[in-house]
Amino acid sequence: MIMQELVFFAICFIVLACCLLFRFIQGPSVADRAVAADSIDILADMALILFALYSGRSVFLDIALITALLGFIGSTIVARYLEGRL
Amino acid sequence: MEALRIVIDVFIGISVFFAFAGVVGMLRMPDAFCRMQSSTNISTLGVLGVIIGGILHSLFILGDSAFAIKLGIMGIFYIVTSPIAGHAIAKGAYRHGVRPDKKMSVDKYGEDLVEDLPQETVPDAVEEEVSA
Repeated sequence: MIMQELVFFAICFIVLACCLLFRFIQGPSVADRAVAADSIDILADMALILFALYSGRSVFLDIALITALLGFIGSTIVARYLEGRL
Repeated sequence: MEALRIVIDVFIGISVFFAFAGVVGMLRMPDAFCRMQSSTNISTLGVLGVIIGGILHSLFILGDSAFAIKLGIMGIFYIVTSPIAGHAIAKGAYRHGVRPDKKMSVDKYGEDLVEDLPQETVPDAVEEEVSA
């Protein structure tokens, strides 16, 4: 059974991520930009998971897993830099 | 099989709703800490619905348990690490000099922070204490 609505939900996530680009570009402080980048990362992950389920190929799931790891490491390093301990 | 499809769609729809609420909060909230608090909405409840729906989909429709295991690992990782990342960014932003719009009536972390800083970079509060 092919579930077409998974692609619809994935497009919803991508549109939400594109809305967050506004906060990433315009955000007044550096913390806003870091948080917006982290959230864009997570939303793109969700779209990748849904597309992996739709197409049945596990390559997209591997990419989503690696992106999740890199997103956590990146936001933690940005936080450490803001604290002044890097 | 149609009932299972509806259940999966409901889980993913709940996830899309919470992600939408988090994005609206991030675009509309007044200051940086409110926006940070709203972004955790995306990374906990927004992720959880997709993970549960994806596990159901991969077990019962695709019939591939490797998908389900990878999704479970991703879900546990997100639930464990997203509060840590949010807390670290909030602390780093506070030490960097970002403050809320309204003046805080209780600021214990700021008081601790002033004691840690070296004397030449002390903010106004300590200079007032010294002069008094």
